[in-house]
Amino acid sequence: MLEPSLDLYGEAAERVEGLLVDLLTQSRARYALLIDRQGFVILHRRAAWAPKPPSLDSLATLIASNHSANEAIAQLFGEASFRETVQQSDGVGTYVESVGDKALLVTVFDASAPLGKVKLFTKRTLERIQAVLDETREAAPVADIGGSFSAHAGALLDELFGDGKAP
Amino acid sequence: MSTINFAAREINFKLVYYGPGLSGKTTNLKQIHAHVPVESKGEMVSLQTEDERTLFFDFLPLDLGKVNGFKTRFHLYTVPGQVFYNASRRLILRGVDGVVFVADSAPNRLRANAESLRNLRENLAEHGLSLGDLPYVIQVNKRDLLDALPVEMIRAVLDPDGVSPLFEAVAQQHVGVIEPLKAVSKLVLEKLAQRA
Ligand SMILES: Nc1nc2c(ncn2[C@@H]2O[C@H](COP(=O)(O)OP(=O)(O)OP(=O)(O)O)[C@@H](O)[C@H]2O)c(=O)[nH]1
Ligand SMILES: [Mg+2]
Repeated sequence: MLEPSLDLYGEAAERVEGLLVDLLTQSRARYALLIDRQGFVILHRRAAWAPKPPSLDSLATLIASNHSANEAIAQLFGEASFRETVQQSDGVGTYVESVGDKALLVTVFDASAPLGKVKLFTKRTLERIQAVLDETREAAPVADIGGSFSAHAGALLDELFGDGKAP
Repeated sequence: MSTINFAAREINFKLVYYGPGLSGKTTNLKQIHAHVPVESKGEMVSLQTEDERTLFFDFLPLDLGKVNGFKTRFHLYTVPGQVFYNASRRLILRGVDGVVFVADSAPNRLRANAESLRNLRENLAEHGLSLGDLPYVIQVNKRDLLDALPVEMIRAVLDPDGVSPLFEAVAQQHVGVIEPLKAVSKLVLEKLAQRA
């Protein structure tokens, strides 16, 4: 069966999007993302005033990989993980919190957002997201993507790659 | 495992290029990046050392388009082939849906091919996976080498039972790059169909 990356869809997804918007307003951060541990973006929001973000695929992949590398480092010392993951430069910073064992909440901020606020509101948002997830857990949808999915996707593969030979 | 994102209506697959150091894994991704139309690919990310050896991974997202209302994407990764980067290799395999094993045709790399395959099996086991259950294809690269070993000799070492699809390649010249990618993608989709 297909694994949902999080039990998040429909109304619950909208609520979490709302929480990401609140997080941006309260912390004055630029972007808030919910990504899964494999580096796929689940949901993301950008503050109205923030510049266009870099490639979110690249960002999510690097944050997720960095996070698993950090976890592996902690495990070398017999710890499950490090308590917090903050990266800061003069211009920009990232703050990452685990959402259960499947996802990460990422806040990207700049000098106009004090780190304390970012941490506080990210943690608060994390609790609220967790609450939404707990509420909706039972209602996990059947991953019905249609029986014809593979055939359709296969046809698109042919289109993208042609007959597979070099041009 | 393939993940479905209901919130964004996306289905994502993770493909990993594995193999010994310098066999041509990064070259494969560069070639794919160079030949796929702009609208179907994202940025390529490479975490490499100064001498262009992969340090952590290369990453390339491919966008297949919408299937039954779901945006369908393949995320391609390479692992670092050098033996001492095993901790990184293990991390990259997390959540893998399919593997392309890039073997080197050079006679002095036959043993490195075999070692890398053994290492792949071990690392998959750490994630509770086995090669037999995973969409898996072999690319025998560097066929242009003057002293390239016969393909059958390489197959005898990597796939003695002859069960895995095998492709000959000169990745540097974009020969045999698309075939294994397409083959493993199709296997991944077939597996999905069986499970659905
Ligand atoms: N002769 C020949 N050389 C190739 C071919 N494909 C790649 N190479 C060369 O092999 C070298 C290593 O290629 P990479 O793609 O960096 O190898 P890799 O497997 O990513 O190596 P690691 O990152 O260390 O694991 C480069 O100099 C490539 O140009 C090929 O088909 N034939
Ligand atoms: Mg490489």
